[in-house]
Amino acid sequence: MIWYEIAYVAGVTHALNAVADGLRLPLDFSPSSRLPVLPLIEPGDAPPEVKATFDEIMTFYAMDRAPAVFRWMARDAGFFHNYWAATREAFTDRKLPRLMKEILALAASLTAKSDYGVDFHLREVRRLGLSERGLMEAIEVVQCFNTVTKIADALQLQPDFDPRPGSR
Amino acid sequence: MEIVRVPEVHEFSPEDQKFLEAGKAWFKIDFVPKMGRVLRVIPEFGRTYGRASRRAMTDGALSRAQKELIAATVSAINVCEY
Repeated sequence: MIWYEIAYVAGVTHALNAVADGLRLPLDFSPSSRLPVLPLIEPGDAPPEVKATFDEIMTFYAMDRAPAVFRWMARDAGFFHNYWAATREAFTDRKLPRLMKEILALAASLTAKSDYGVDFHLREVRRLGLSERGLMEAIEVVQCFNTVTKIADALQLQPDFDPRPGSR
Repeated sequence: MEIVRVPEVHEFSPEDQKFLEAGKAWFKIDFVPKMGRVLRVIPEFGRTYGRASRRAMTDGALSRAQKELIAATVSAINVCEY
């Protein structure tokens, strides 16, 4: 189950980052001069059912404003409600606790060079209690594994073994 | 298809062979991974990278298991088959 949880976090994070950076959405926690190339919904203009979901998202992330990526997404209420619900479930405590999932999302964002994702998940890991020492360690691992994955790709190394359980 | 011939363990210096063999215990496997051998082809690179990497992956504020999950996520985002 743990591998599914990692995969869901990686997939949702990568998708949200792709949309947020692609649309040049402003960062949620750092000063940003980015201007969105498509309009976002202002919370005051949102219909009641969208506003209720914004409230849930703000509670989940302890924010006083819904993240920009969800304000974009809310332009299609049906998609927004379901994608947010999937996002919430991907980041909910299961085998992996929420903090660990946010650390993985930060690793995914750093690796994909996502300004939006790094800003968002850096704030989340700190808010959820990761120490500065833990943060440094996580970033060192990201750096080391970006090193070896690129070396492996450059040399087109084939896997040493089948990673499935029970295989060598 | 690999674009280089990955050296066998016996082709490395005794010092590097010792490090590579120690990697089996670190990863709890009975063979020396290709990556370990590839990194040591230029020993001045491999030894220093190896020390940095070992330090990064040791239990600290984050456990080694947590660090392996981070590594798996990086590999997934980079779509690294290896």
